[in-house]
Amino acid sequence: MLGNFLSLALVRASIRMATPLTLAALGGTVTMQAGILNIALEGMMLAAAFFAVAASHFFANAWLGLLAGVVAATLIGLLYAFFVVDLKGDTFVIGIALNIFAAGGTVYLLRSMFGVKGAFVSDRIRTLPDISIGLANVSGPIAEVLDGYSILTYVSWALVLAFSILFYRTAFGLRLRAAGEHPVALETVGVSTRRMRYLAYLGSGILCGLGGAHLSLGYLNQFAENMVAGRGFIALAATIFGQGRPLPVFLACVLFGAADSVAIRFQSLGIPPQFALMTPYVVTTLALWLVSRPRAPRVKEATAHMSTKEADAA
Amino acid sequence: MGTRSTGNTFIDFLRGRLQTAGTLAFAIFLAFAVGAVIIAASGDSPIVAYGAMFQGAFGGVSKTASTLAKATPLIMTGLSVAVAFNAGIWNIGSEGQLFLGGFAAAWVGFTVKGLPSPIHILLCLAAAVLVGAFWAFIPGLLRVKGNTNEVVTTIMANHVATLFTAYLVNYPFKVPGSARGATVYIEKTAELLRPIPFSRFSLGFFIAVGLVVLVYHLMTRTTLGYEWKMVGLNPEFSRYGGISPERAMLSAMLVSGALAATAGAVEVMGVHQRFIDNISPGYGFDGILIALIAGNNPIGVFLVAVLFGALRTGAIGMEQATTIPSELSSVIQSLIILAVAAQVGFNVLLGRMRMRRRRATC
Repeated sequence: MLGNFLSLALVRASIRMATPLTLAALGGTVTMQAGILNIALEGMMLAAAFFAVAASHFFANAWLGLLAGVVAATLIGLLYAFFVVDLKGDTFVIGIALNIFAAGGTVYLLRSMFGVKGAFVSDRIRTLPDISIGLANVSGPIAEVLDGYSILTYVSWALVLAFSILFYRTAFGLRLRAAGEHPVALETVGVSTRRMRYLAYLGSGILCGLGGAHLSLGYLNQFAENMVAGRGFIALAATIFGQGRPLPVFLACVLFGAADSVAIRFQSLGIPPQFALMTPYVVTTLALWLVSRPRAPRVKEATAHMSTKEADAA
Repeated sequence: MGTRSTGNTFIDFLRGRLQTAGTLAFAIFLAFAVGAVIIAASGDSPIVAYGAMFQGAFGGVSKTASTLAKATPLIMTGLSVAVAFNAGIWNIGSEGQLFLGGFAAAWVGFTVKGLPSPIHILLCLAAAVLVGAFWAFIPGLLRVKGNTNEVVTTIMANHVATLFTAYLVNYPFKVPGSARGATVYIEKTAELLRPIPFSRFSLGFFIAVGLVVLVYHLMTRTTLGYEWKMVGLNPEFSRYGGISPERAMLSAMLVSGALAATAGAVEVMGVHQRFIDNISPGYGFDGILIALIAGNNPIGVFLVAVLFGALRTGAIGMEQATTIPSELSSVIQSLIILAVAAQVGFNVLLGRMRMRRRRATC
């Protein structure tokens, strides 16, 4: 009986942990589809987490908080796009700079706006509501596992589905992928690669904004310095692990969320949590190593040929 | 870039250097200007704040020493990144190499007993170098043999390394009764001398300066350095020239890992006298910014690292004198890199616009 309860709690904790990861990893997926590795997921989430709490505190309204978080992350995304797409800056360099900017900037604002060090808590902060998806009448394990999470958890599930359709079943998705795989072909059919990439960064910003806001307003109800604590990089790992395809990325997020909640359980039992926390990174490195092929020019030519065809089809 | 050659290589060389220095000086000026706007928006006087910052960084012997102490690990991580980037391999993993190297140095520092001090110090450094080079070698090998993206693997390796050292200091090597995860103190013989009382400035700074000279020599005066540069510029072309890009990348990765690990060892032996959980607040990532701002030039790395060190100690002085939080320093640091990128980018943009106009008039 107790074992059963613990495992249900663990599953629920994993799903809860997976939500911010899923949202941010979908953000990484959008840019990856357009051929960009987005290193700044972490920074975008952090900015969103801060502004979500700040706005929720000022307006005593969770939805305005969510909006402010999304706007903040989107602005960083657009800045990222401007530097990489227009000014031809290096993705990694600009991404790292933006992460440091967000880390320093949020702490700067935390101190100058609220005069606190560490964490900001206030009774004016409103949290995003947990909702029931109408499974309350259905008894049994399915309802126990799936019902009663924060609204953004369900939003993240819906978005996984929506992005699977968007990427692979729409002309827009084809263009987005072509911007990554074969920009020249895309330009040839009259679509601006620049525009597609900007849209990718915009989408990435919005999604990371939701993920970051969920961290601060979804269950913690506060902003703490560096509260994203590497989740942006776990999301990046999930994006790479799932090779930018929404469903595998989502499954990776659930797996990594489980690793996170198992680690917390371990810690309370006195078992070192670090090895559980390491799994996302080790698994991703191994997976990446397995899928990346040794240098073989022929493979490259073949894929280039394929994507030309696809772009022609558009 | 746009200027014509004078036909005199030396003058061309100097002009190139001056242009780079000019670009850099302007970027730094721009970052501080934006910083001034932020200070003013927070309701303080930029002049007073920056004055306090300068005083905090260079006002007196002990403050200058603190600045150099802060710069010490940054010089070494900056060199680490510069060596790798120069050879065209993106080692984002200096942070993790620093952690493991630092722990290795600490382990030798408290385990080995009864050695004369110089030998003990060298042994600690050697352990750090070996471990750091090994940790950098794995992503290097995956890149060279399996064509696995090293940016991703080194980022992942960072997290594995920091978590692993967190495990070590919180479980097998934890000192009973201490609140913070930390090992026992290293032997006195393994400590780096601190010549100035009440300052974290140690002989480690001179190790860092020695490494600047060494890396400068390696890069500009040896075959290995030439190979790194050629491979960094164009791996396929260098292959036609008889250089093995794989070997060059791997050797760059080994040296890069060793340099980052030395930064960790010096933090342990000169600053903390033991290994503590979260020993680095991101020196590896700062090293990336520093190497890029310095254009992978070792002497540039030294200067930018000292600037970053000054920003940090200065920001603490500023925080005491005004209401401006010390995090302004990391904001300014990231703004410098954005300003450098923006200048390079604007030149490209302007060039493209000019091309377009020329095409339009023709």
